[in-house]
Amino acid sequence: MIETGIPKLDEYLKGIPEGKSLVFYIEPGVEESNIGIHVLHHNLERGLYGIYVVSESSPKNVEKKFREFNWDIKKYDKLIVIDGYSSLIGAPSEEKYIVEEPHDIRSYEDVLLEVMEKIEGKGVMVFDSLSNIMDMCGERETLEGIERINKDVGSSGFATIYNFIAWPYKEAIIYRMKRLFNAIIEVNVVEDVVTRQRMEVKKVDWNGAEGKKFEFKIFKPEGIRIYIPKISVIGPFQAGKTTFIKAMAKNFTPVERLGATVGVEHGTVDYKDYRAEIFGIPGQERFLPLLDKLGSSSNGIFLVIDSTKPEEFSLAKKMLEKFSGIPYVIVANKQDLPGALKKEEIKNRIGLPDASVIETIAKEGKGVYEAFEMLAEKIMECLNAS
Amino acid sequence: MLAKTGIDRLDELLKGGIPLKSNVLIYSPPFIGREIILKRFALSGLQEGDTILFVLTDKSFQDMREEMKKLDKKYEKYEEEGKIRYIDVYSPSVEIKEESEWVIFVDSPINRERIASSVIQTLKEKEGKYRVIFDSLSTLIVYSDAKAVFRFLQVLSGICKRMGATSMFSMTRGMHEEIEVQTIKHLMDGVIELREEGARLQIRVQGCGEVISRHWIDYLLEGEEIKLTGAFRMGRVA
Repeated sequence: MIETGIPKLDEYLKGIPEGKSLVFYIEPGVEESNIGIHVLHHNLERGLYGIYVVSESSPKNVEKKFREFNWDIKKYDKLIVIDGYSSLIGAPSEEKYIVEEPHDIRSYEDVLLEVMEKIEGKGVMVFDSLSNIMDMCGERETLEGIERINKDVGSSGFATIYNFIAWPYKEAIIYRMKRLFNAIIEVNVVEDVVTRQRMEVKKVDWNGAEGKKFEFKIFKPEGIRIYIPKISVIGPFQAGKTTFIKAMAKNFTPVERLGATVGVEHGTVDYKDYRAEIFGIPGQERFLPLLDKLGSSSNGIFLVIDSTKPEEFSLAKKMLEKFSGIPYVIVANKQDLPGALKKEEIKNRIGLPDASVIETIAKEGKGVYEAFEMLAEKIMECLNAS
Repeated sequence: MLAKTGIDRLDELLKGGIPLKSNVLIYSPPFIGREIILKRFALSGLQEGDTILFVLTDKSFQDMREEMKKLDKKYEKYEEEGKIRYIDVYSPSVEIKEESEWVIFVDSPINRERIASSVIQTLKEKEGKYRVIFDSLSTLIVYSDAKAVFRFLQVLSGICKRMGATSMFSMTRGMHEEIEVQTIKHLMDGVIELREEGARLQIRVQGCGEVISRHWIDYLLEGEEIKLTGAFRMGRVA
């Protein structure tokens, strides 16, 4: 089985069976359009072959692109670059495999056949980009060629991956193009609070993942991360919100005066495949009227409570009610103190029997990532339900 | 609301300038003033406090910077203030590269996707009015074809408009088939054309909102300036 190496996508697709083709159908203008290169790298890293067909920029840039993610190109002896660029602009090429007639899709096919004959083993072939080759070789001619390529390359134990920039082509061409592939993953720009990208499985013929989606950003050098632009941390005064954020976040910016938070604080959490921006909202009663404004457009909420202070639970609940419909997790903090209530008791007392409650000792970092992961999963579910 | 071109009598002809948030094609043979129009448009924007984004396919950003410095002593100051941005599609192909925080390099004129996303990235970075100067579409067409560039431009011109930029795109007369030119013109809100008629240089405006005259008008090229000499006041022509 070939993997994409892209978080969530592999979970949804359960990998890509050999012989299958997949296209990343990418809205023009996304910040980072070269999704295929991540699939390529992931499979090279697993010791498989990676054939990279380059038509938009010089093969000399492949090394540079790798370096942006701290990948050392020399490490991968199973990387095969096919140069469809140099002949196009009349530049000399140092590559072993060169497409001599970049305006003829058959010339691409010839080189691929030559490569497939020389190698033995599985892997991925990544086309960067299909739209550009359609512009060069003619739309219909290219699509016919791609059908043959998918068959030829696929039958040798390869999965074929295409970057396709969705310029405004004619409907009929898009329709034909989409029929060609076993899987279509749409990549769009999402713009509300923070610009990010969204991947959605539009078609897949080997399982039922259609309609599944997630939001991500491509960071350099970290790579693709599931991205959550805003998680707000709310809760009564002195419940331990700041300590909770500090325990999870890197580059934390506190806004404290004498131990009390007096403004919105911020931290970034990197955990597993996630990156989330966390905003702490001060808990003094005077901030209550501002709560929904400060926390507006949150993707998720942490409600932090002091487990030893049931008298504050009704206030906590009132805070939470300002964010109806947004996924939340209750963080039952200060579990190390005597008299701390356990989660079942908290659910009852607060009057939210179905709530997810995680017991934490924020100052020791206990339970904080468990809470994070639970909220992150809830946010993903919420996105997929919308 | 209008954006002055910075050429007095051209602005007069345009009744003040080109409409804000419009896309205008400068269609001209080489060396008869196309670049002057683009540079004057940039300068006039800077004087009005706009931010300028150059997208360059035929010269490096340093070349543009040098040429602009000659026209305005304050150019360097504008650049220090972050008022001038470049997307340099030329330098990477010739491998001269001087990094600058105001430049994004795009590795090839074929990489239209990269050009589009760099424009978006730049326009998004800062609030305020932008002027985009795209010089030139011809290079893009030469490296692929007009239809592909048409699709690219369809997306890009929409983005520029949506993000509030006023844009000039240049195209070289004599390099393209008529059908290619018509295809590109179709996406524009206006066209400013230059031509050489025997010994005379002439300019004509199509589209661009309300203008005084749509006829060919004589002009003179004097150093780095264009001077419209032909009459275009309706009353006077008769």
